[in-house]
Amino acid sequence: MKKINILILTLIFMFSCSTVPVEEVDSQQATTVDLTSDSGTSFEAASDPMSDLDIGEPYVKIYFDYDQDTLREDALSDLLKVSRLMKDNPKYTLLVEGHADERGTREYNLALSERRAKAVEDFLSVSGVSSFNVEVVGYGEEKPVDNGSNESAWSQNRRAELFFIK
Amino acid sequence: MNRLLLVLLLSLTASAELVLEITQSAKQPIKIAVLQKDANTAIGEDIINVIRSDLQRTGEFTVLGSSELLSVPSNESEVIQRDWLLLDVDSIIFVEVVQEDLSLNIDYSIFDVSYKQVEERRKVLGIPDSIRQSSHYVSDGIYKHFYGIDGIASTKLMYVTKSSGIYRLIISDSDGFNEQVILKSNKSIISPAWSHDAENIAYVSFENNRAQVFVQNLASGKRDLVLSSRSSVSAPAWSPDNKYLALTSTMDGNSEIYLVEIKNKEITRLTSNLAIDTEPAWSVDGKNIIFTSDRAGSPQIYEMNVRTKLKRRLTVEGTYNARASFLNKDEIIFVHRNEGDFKIAKLNLRSRDLEILTSTQNDESPCIAPNGNVILYATKDGNTSYLAGVNISSKVKFKLPALYGELKEPSWSPFLR
Repeated sequence: MKKINILILTLIFMFSCSTVPVEEVDSQQATTVDLTSDSGTSFEAASDPMSDLDIGEPYVKIYFDYDQDTLREDALSDLLKVSRLMKDNPKYTLLVEGHADERGTREYNLALSERRAKAVEDFLSVSGVSSFNVEVVGYGEEKPVDNGSNESAWSQNRRAELFFIK
Repeated sequence: MNRLLLVLLLSLTASAELVLEITQSAKQPIKIAVLQKDANTAIGEDIINVIRSDLQRTGEFTVLGSSELLSVPSNESEVIQRDWLLLDVDSIIFVEVVQEDLSLNIDYSIFDVSYKQVEERRKVLGIPDSIRQSSHYVSDGIYKHFYGIDGIASTKLMYVTKSSGIYRLIISDSDGFNEQVILKSNKSIISPAWSHDAENIAYVSFENNRAQVFVQNLASGKRDLVLSSRSSVSAPAWSPDNKYLALTSTMDGNSEIYLVEIKNKEITRLTSNLAIDTEPAWSVDGKNIIFTSDRAGSPQIYEMNVRTKLKRRLTVEGTYNARASFLNKDEIIFVHRNEGDFKIAKLNLRSRDLEILTSTQNDESPCIAPNGNVILYATKDGNTSYLAGVNISSKVKFKLPALYGELKEPSWSPFLR
């Protein structure tokens, strides 16, 4: 791990009258952790099959309503197609990434986005796909496809993206 | 009490990335002048400029510039009272800088114009490299003299910047100077939180393509993955004694709140239902945790007793209430939406009074200054997010945009003295 040390020493001396000797109260130093450099390795990266995987474009995207994690009717034909593919090819692994629009809080959106991904997993599971072959992950509002702050951007961002990773 | 402080601060850079803009001043700011006493040195000028800027930044002072003065006394005995009463000046701060090879001491007195007397005298002992931090201590002393609330010029801010696809978790002085990058990543970083002793921070990093909580020691940069799980882990909140993190995980299949003892990673599950439970925050005494849950259909704030796990709903007004924290024993702040925009609101748990604190539109991630009187949050103008704040007692509002890139996820340090 590459570290750039920036040394900040803060020594605070306090005394209550002018003849009392000085006293050291605190010393502080901060270190930079850089995960972007070539030599930088992130935590657990080596043992984590999902880390830094280049998975390309999603096979299909499913969209959701505001603050909802229920599947809409317009998603069904795509999901049935995925289900059929998975059952015909039991070795396929599907990654489902859930996303939220920017409205509301980041942590609540993280939970909401994971529920959206789970809704896809549940549908596939009920349709007969083994849940061992489905990975679910929530990204909250961290990876928008459209950066705008309007209904058209938000509706594009409330989504689940399905990737075949094997 | 005559409290003397010596501050030594060695820093590599002094570039402010945050640019403060007061959008609403206090109704009756206190009018003062900050002058050098008995001398006119370049270093003294630097120091009074930092003090002036600190006090001006609060929005609760009007600090007169040299050109606005009718006379310039070099000490208390030279004050011509008439000149200052004409200008409506309440007080004059006389600042005396005594510089030696290894020390830089600041004596200051607060002179009341009407009563023609020194109301308070204080001393800050520092070294030549600590000019800014020593000056901040003076500003905080002056602030406390007038408002009875601890000043926050000497505290630090933590926030996330994003520019050119790179996320940086940064700590800076409260005025944006002395930026230090704590973590630099290609992936999103959210929910940074200071431990109450300011030695460690916790945050959520997506570096492994899912939300994970890390604790990082500020001095060494040593990082610790709090829970190793294939599920997401997020929303860390330090217990008041720094021994536990309350956090959210889907390790049991659904977003639930857990308590993790940091030393031995022992896990206690606190919530159990099919709804989203997240964003835990501790009460001041550590006995209760408030959190967001959509168990009643929309996100609302609930409180639970950590020991008994008994829960009760706190918010009733509004279709969206989330990310709450305790302002004090009786009041909480949170993101609130009734119809339309997301605002930061304050709820008094005894009187049930709900007050909307902000007038921006897309507000999130509120945090509270250690004096319990200033709230900083992230909001968005067009496509760029920036920080904004509000002073609860004086209603001062301000913006804190970055010179470049996006600013989000603020977290205010505890007092560092």
